[in-house]
Amino acid sequence: MLRYEVEIDGRLRQVSIQRAHGRFVATVDGRERAVDAARVDAHTWSLLIEQAGGRSVSSHEVSIIPGPVSNRFAVQVGSSPLTVSLNGRRRWDRKDEGGQPGSGPQRIVAPMSGKVVRVLVQPGEAVRARQPLVVIEAMKMENELSATHDGTVADIKVRDGQSVDAGTLLIVIV
Amino acid sequence: MNKILIANRGEIAVRIIRACREMGLSTVAVFSECDRAALHVRYADEAYAIGPSPPQDSYLRIDRIVDAARAAGADAVHPGYGFLAENESFAAAVCDAGLTFIGPTPQAVRLMGNKTAARAAASRAGLPVVPGTEAALAADAPDADVARVAASIGYPLLVKAVAGGGGKGMRTVGDPADLAGAIRAARSEAGAAFGDAAVYIERRLMRPRHVEVQLLADEHGTVVPFVERECSIQRRHQKVVEETPSVAVTPALRQNIAAQAALVAREVGYTNAGTMEFLLDEDGRSYFLEMNTRLQVEHAITEMVTGVDLVRWQIRIARGERLDLDADRMLTPVGHAIECRIYAEDPDNGFRPSPGRIHQLRAPSGPGIRDDSGATAGLDVPIFYDPMISKVMAWAEDRPIAIARMRRALAEYRIGGIKTTLPFFTWLLAQPEFLAGRFHTTYLDEVVAAREGQPFVEPPAEIEDVAAIGVALQAVLTPAAALDVDPGTRRWKAQARTEGLRSGTMGRCEA
Repeated sequence: MLRYEVEIDGRLRQVSIQRAHGRFVATVDGRERAVDAARVDAHTWSLLIEQAGGRSVSSHEVSIIPGPVSNRFAVQVGSSPLTVSLNGRRRWDRKDEGGQPGSGPQRIVAPMSGKVVRVLVQPGEAVRARQPLVVIEAMKMENELSATHDGTVADIKVRDGQSVDAGTLLIVIV
Repeated sequence: MNKILIANRGEIAVRIIRACREMGLSTVAVFSECDRAALHVRYADEAYAIGPSPPQDSYLRIDRIVDAARAAGADAVHPGYGFLAENESFAAAVCDAGLTFIGPTPQAVRLMGNKTAARAAASRAGLPVVPGTEAALAADAPDADVARVAASIGYPLLVKAVAGGGGKGMRTVGDPADLAGAIRAARSEAGAAFGDAAVYIERRLMRPRHVEVQLLADEHGTVVPFVERECSIQRRHQKVVEETPSVAVTPALRQNIAAQAALVAREVGYTNAGTMEFLLDEDGRSYFLEMNTRLQVEHAITEMVTGVDLVRWQIRIARGERLDLDADRMLTPVGHAIECRIYAEDPDNGFRPSPGRIHQLRAPSGPGIRDDSGATAGLDVPIFYDPMISKVMAWAEDRPIAIARMRRALAEYRIGGIKTTLPFFTWLLAQPEFLAGRFHTTYLDEVVAAREGQPFVEPPAEIEDVAAIGVALQAVLTPAAALDVDPGTRRWKAQARTEGLRSGTMGRCEA
């Protein structure tokens, strides 16, 4: 099973995806749904999502375009445009399974232009996965950026109160 | 006439090429550096580079465009709208080069492009004009004299550029104390935008509607006016939705303004396509506002309710042919048509320009839908020009069905990679005032301001869940490298930085 933290409009969702008989079971914040996914082209998916109770299947055309920042996407579902951040990288449910897809240096970048409200860690500090590292304020909303996996703070490129552009490197974790 | 050079870009260049193709005429495109791979270049039979991307170095270069026409052996030039379309020097240069200008004579462009002269021509033809000064204010007129003139016209009033268009060089003044400052600001803006700082004063009608009459006039004295277009849905003096017919125009008023438009056209010996703009006050009285001496952005909704190809007629008129349209039929719309101008702007961010690469594009289609666009997937929306990427139009038997069709079309539209005004239109076409046809030229600015930046489309939680599932699924099924930052965007940003350009300074052509 693969788990992700997905952020839309400031709200986090815990999403896990499980393969089952050529289809998928998607669990969003504990709510399970059977999903049939067909890839149409590089940016387009057709999703058939079974509704609770399995009585009806809703059809959604979903466009996913990579944004200017890693793991941030411009998504369109029907007439609704959404900005979606995939916070967690792939994380395996059991520690012993597979290689270490979440290892390697993490470069924490500003997902949007804004102001650094607080840097929450020190150089050399050991951090755990999902530990908040820095708070960025943009459009009057505070956004916490977290480590995706365990590591050590190698470099802090910004200080409290500093203005940053989208894509600015903030913190490096090794 | 066998070969036509199109002195424009984007959707209107494509539109004109289509008419030429259908008439068996060869087409010549011109393009700036950033438009090398643009759709109008790909659709044309021949294409010539005319310079760097900034308009003043390419699409506004009369010499280079005329040279390209000569080199290609073109025998006519179609200016489209914007850029040089209402520039009398361009029309004259084309004629002097022995080519046919597909539009009015340079004299007509000069006369009707000058707002005070156009108002005077309309007055001579017996049309009511909005009360105002007959000529431009003298550059050295003492403030006290100007204040007296303004008081006699009445407040609130508008200070407008004589050479104006698209809301530039225009100021609303409610308080006499602000008059001198507004005149200074309008003069300076007009000087920068049009190279002519002259301004005049006009009374500001409260809550007027903007309606306009398209007309065609041949070189043999025949003038045919068309059913009106309603263009009151404007954002900062820029039209964003047009429809025809207008819910506010009775058959009697339609006959009346059509006859008035034809009168003015005859008064000035106008030829080819043009549009007379009128204001309607709250009591249904009409006032001549100005004339556009060219094809307009919104011409195609007229085509939808009359079945006439206006660009084809422009070319036929320029060839000296006689207009033989049934004049009564042109004033009798079949059904209703509506247009939304889709811009590369972020409506949820103060309509900030959103240039960049289009990764995905699927235009709507099906019954009653027409999409005129110069955009394709893989192209950048340049920062140099008007950010309009498409005109999506819906035709149906009546207005409610046309609106329903437009809503259906907006939902089908997919434009990925840049922000567009699609969500804004989805919102607008659900507003009770819009559905009831109760609006005026400042309606949109008022309701948008009252929203205080609230997003135009707020997806329900279920749709957010679907988006979350989609992105997570793609992450599962896509190699990690493919999820990285989009290379097109990175390249775009680097280019914008090196050229020292900011999206806020982007030029817009007015139409």
